[in-house]
Amino acid sequence: METKTSYGDIPGLKRVDGHLKVTGSIRYAAEHPSPGLVYGAIVSSTIAKGAIAAVDSKAAESSPGVVAVISYQNAIKVPGYGEHDLKTFNENKIYFNGQPIALVIANTFERAKYAASLVKVKYNNEAHQTSLDANLQNTYKPFGDDSDYHRGEANAYQNAPVKIEAEYHTPIHVHNAMEPFAVTAFWDGDKVTVYTKAQAIKSMQHDIMTMFKLPVENVQVYSKVIGGAFGSGSPLWPYAKAALIGAKMTGKPVKVVIDREQMFTMVGYRSPAMQKIGMGASADGKLIGITHEATGETATYQQFGEGITDTTKFLYECPNVDTHYKLTRLDLSVPTYTRGPGETTGVFALESAIDELAHAINMDPIEFRKKNYAERDPEENLPWSSKYLDECYTQGAAHFGWDKRQQKPGSVMQDGWMVGYGLGCGAYGAGRAPCTVHAKLGANGMLLLQSASADMGPGTATVMVKIASEIIDIPVENISFELGSSALPNAPGEYGSITTSSVGSAVYDACTALKEKFNQVTGTASDKPDYVKILNDHNLPFIEVTHSSARSEEANKYSAHAYVAHFVEAHVHPATGEVKIKKVVSAVDGGKIINPITARSQIIGGVVWGIGMSLMEEGVLDHRYGKYVNSNLGDYHLATHADVPQVEVVFIDKKDPVTNPMGSKGIGEVAIVGFAAAVANAVFNATGKRVRDLPITPDKIV
Amino acid sequence: MKQFQYVRAASQQDALAAIAKPGTKIIAGGTNLVDLMKRGVTAPDKLVDITHLPLKGIAATKTGLHIGTLALNSVVSENSLVLAKQPLLAMALKAGASPQLRNMATVGGNMMQRTRCSYFYDTTMPCNKREPGTGCGAMEGYNRMHAIFGASGQCIAVHPSDMCVGLAALDAVVIVTGKKGERRIPMTEFHRLPGDHPENDNHLAPGELIIGVEIPDNNFAKNSYYLKVRDRQSYAFALVSVAAALDISGGLIKQARLAMGGVAHKPWRLFEAEKSLIGKPATEDSFKNAAQIAMQGAKAYEYNAFKLRLAPASITEALKHAAGAV
Amino acid sequence: MEDKNANFVSGAPGEEPEIDLGPKDNSRRTFLKQSALITAVALAPAPAVKAAEMHFDERVAEAFEKMPLKMEVNGVAKSLMVEPRSTLLDILREQLDLTGTKKGCDYGQCGACTVHVDGHRVNACLTLGIMVNGKKVTTIEGLAKGEVLHPMQEAFLKHDGFQCGYCTPGQIMSAVACIREGHANTEMEIREYMSGNICRCGAYPNIVNAIQEVKGGGFVV
Repeated sequence: METKTSYGDIPGLKRVDGHLKVTGSIRYAAEHPSPGLVYGAIVSSTIAKGAIAAVDSKAAESSPGVVAVISYQNAIKVPGYGEHDLKTFNENKIYFNGQPIALVIANTFERAKYAASLVKVKYNNEAHQTSLDANLQNTYKPFGDDSDYHRGEANAYQNAPVKIEAEYHTPIHVHNAMEPFAVTAFWDGDKVTVYTKAQAIKSMQHDIMTMFKLPVENVQVYSKVIGGAFGSGSPLWPYAKAALIGAKMTGKPVKVVIDREQMFTMVGYRSPAMQKIGMGASADGKLIGITHEATGETATYQQFGEGITDTTKFLYECPNVDTHYKLTRLDLSVPTYTRGPGETTGVFALESAIDELAHAINMDPIEFRKKNYAERDPEENLPWSSKYLDECYTQGAAHFGWDKRQQKPGSVMQDGWMVGYGLGCGAYGAGRAPCTVHAKLGANGMLLLQSASADMGPGTATVMVKIASEIIDIPVENISFELGSSALPNAPGEYGSITTSSVGSAVYDACTALKEKFNQVTGTASDKPDYVKILNDHNLPFIEVTHSSARSEEANKYSAHAYVAHFVEAHVHPATGEVKIKKVVSAVDGGKIINPITARSQIIGGVVWGIGMSLMEEGVLDHRYGKYVNSNLGDYHLATHADVPQVEVVFIDKKDPVTNPMGSKGIGEVAIVGFAAAVANAVFNATGKRVRDLPITPDKIV
Repeated sequence: MKQFQYVRAASQQDALAAIAKPGTKIIAGGTNLVDLMKRGVTAPDKLVDITHLPLKGIAATKTGLHIGTLALNSVVSENSLVLAKQPLLAMALKAGASPQLRNMATVGGNMMQRTRCSYFYDTTMPCNKREPGTGCGAMEGYNRMHAIFGASGQCIAVHPSDMCVGLAALDAVVIVTGKKGERRIPMTEFHRLPGDHPENDNHLAPGELIIGVEIPDNNFAKNSYYLKVRDRQSYAFALVSVAAALDISGGLIKQARLAMGGVAHKPWRLFEAEKSLIGKPATEDSFKNAAQIAMQGAKAYEYNAFKLRLAPASITEALKHAAGAV
Repeated sequence: MEDKNANFVSGAPGEEPEIDLGPKDNSRRTFLKQSALITAVALAPAPAVKAAEMHFDERVAEAFEKMPLKMEVNGVAKSLMVEPRSTLLDILREQLDLTGTKKGCDYGQCGACTVHVDGHRVNACLTLGIMVNGKKVTTIEGLAKGEVLHPMQEAFLKHDGFQCGYCTPGQIMSAVACIREGHANTEMEIREYMSGNICRCGAYPNIVNAIQEVKGGGFVV
């Protein structure tokens, strides 16, 4: 079912679950009806640090419809909490404002929610710290010696003929998937069934097994569709633990859906960062040294660190590079992976600095990047598996019309707006994890593929069906891919841009093995066996294989990344400071593109995240209370239709010979990397004003 | 949300009788009230639904335009009389909320909406408006969206409406009714400054009901503009907004109307700045001078000092648009 | 109690008049509950008291708190008893099992709950169900004609106007309204009039293209 569209002419397989989604009939985590279902509402802490002195649940318990009020005062003892877990309902300590501290279960949603407001909590307060800025001196190295990196001389930039030094600040970003996190759980003795959103269903199952010390066969997790997650959907979060405890204690199916405010404190966020970059080059534009320091934050009870400085180590050829990464522990919930984790933050600083230095040298930013192009990985000293970033520059520039860019900032006015062009580039590792796929082709001609993968939006099943159809060579309508159940064969979580490479490879290999098995039956080596005829001729109901695939040894000899070059035209109002993104061209080296229509959407999605990050997204805390003051979608702004222009996506579309049999490189994460810098660079080109503190809201321009 | 009783008023008299009782609130569009009730900011015992009262009409009168309190924001913004006579009001309405919310929100409800100050909405935080005597969370807190004019030591919140800014500029009059009969309150005096009683947003007396608004006819239709500066290009509250209306004849300004949103506890009418424009040429210099006058007495807090720059720039820009110079 | 006011009509005209518990309805309920407790103590052995009390309390609460709601949902007449505080969104999702309408923010800040009431798009999360009495509601489940998708649904498929799919029903309902209202004449106008629908996956350009195609294709929406 190859389709061409009249608008944009995007080829590819339309989403296999699209019909279910446009009719509203697909069921998300909170939409599984269950007889006797009761509703749980989470009560959150209202202080940032200390301990609960007492929970008064009398009023809540006598409120109509209430089945139970559960807190540390009456909860069952959880046998498997780990050292760094938030021991939900098993301790009275408060680690952050907005921590789940009680669960009110009632027979309707409205009653549970109202009764939750009646739970009164007394605390013993302790002084808290929630500000990264105020704790920049109070840091530690999260990965020991690996937190620092040196190549050549440290601080070599300082002696370069041309140098810049700058500080960049990025705020808290909250994933804010549209679907609120939800769990529907029910126990049957020692067996539990859970519907939730899980990017990594096997690890979710494992976490539940650990929590209750249960064997694998006692825990069944379903996550057939995910209403967005962007990194927040992997851990078994405390709210989910609360739901599991509530279901166990009441013996009823319990549904817990957290509200939008709780989405800010209960399911992770992107750490803010303070970064310093020193960068120096020769007068003719050869990089001499880069020093990149980054400080982020984590929780007191758990560490989360990320590779903010990683890209700086390899994106450009530069003899002297030193990077340093530190964390401070704050009385906040633990941050987690957020689209392009680490890279998104770090590359904003790196690619802004590159633009600043190019300006200081008075060189076109593309020329400057080309001049320092890394032909092999300078960090690992390995060849690239493939790298077409140079083609991203060239093709992107041509599609965008980069030749019309004025080197001198503030040179172009159009309809009363200042016009600027900006470029920001990025890279993201093209990884692959082991995966197992079960493939079964029946006498009815239908091929069923199964693996415990997930789909949080990119279209996992669609891509798998496309890969399978190209090997097995039967119509896509005859192929289905089942994911989202912990009972299926092992698959890695859907994160890190590895799904197509990992699960897709396993599908590729399983389908190849399946075809081979048909050929074994007939004793031939047909490229397109007549599957149904073979099954009928041999009186077989089906032929099946279970196949595991993993990265080859050969792959270790290469450094593999996907690349992007984002071109942005920004219009800035000289009086009001408003910034509008008028044009975007994103040129992407994602290896061979398996399914252009969905791949394009992934890139556009990253660009939209990038527009939000660069212009409006910021989680704001009032540090006096350690609490968010904008934990809703009216005050925490996500980009909306009016903020987003048409986005032109240019795929280089050349096969990578190393990463996997399809030659693809994952693109979901790289799609956002570098975009915020492209905007900041365009704003500079428009106005001569360099904004190093995201987001670029009107107050920072006027 | 606390459980409450719901009744539907069949007449204006019923509605007045019902709201005379404490703990009773009127509901129409519900776009702000339901939100506030969900968060426990307000918890009425009883809601009186007035949406079936015949107060939706939009009609030209001898002296102006009458708009019923229940006219939907979307309907008003597209009404042909409004577009012809008072395009500034249509522009202000379209700058507010989203199409869905405008399909629910009424004119009266828009006037009665509460501030969007985070400290007001969060029942765990201090707020003199929500709970008098608890203090103002915003004063020493995150006050980026807050007032630069007319604030008090008790409250620095702003009124969030766009529509009311347009109406204030256009000399609209709010018509209310109560046990003592009807009275007319100029839009500029409908909302109040916080003073020592920030819990009171406006001068509507207990037991009174808004029944409509009247806009006197004017000569501003050709030269008016609503400028709204916000953090995203749609569906966001104003950092600063400006309603500007000019009556220009032979290049000279005969009359001017200016009001701002996002800067005070009420739509902030700029009377002195208006005066400064009369008889002046419709040029950027005149506009800049007016903007400077408008900013007299402005006071910023830790996070909203940018408004001291953004507000005058926006006034000038809005006037340029109104004059057709952009 | 003073307000057996004949001018007040609860629910639709012609429904039963309201039962007013007065401003102190909590004390009234407490009283009823205490009565129930006394009765229960008299009739039942101690361990059953709690259950009996709760059971009776439930019935009392239901009688006084729920009201009749009659509405037409996707062409089907529905007759329900609802608490006045229940939003149209929660009634659709939790009582009618019409889960196509989504809860994204619950405060009118995302548009995932967009439905049509009497043909106009509204946020179901801020709409009290009881206020929809006598009206016609269309949700995403009511857009297709049997197996035949609405042109907007087809266009979303063709242009890949979604990824995770969670905001999609709201986007589609809003998109249909956008054209019906006459606000789909230019790309800029579509973007402005679709801005009440947030999509975190960022499918905006594809959604705008889908709307333009439906608008330009002269489909009856």
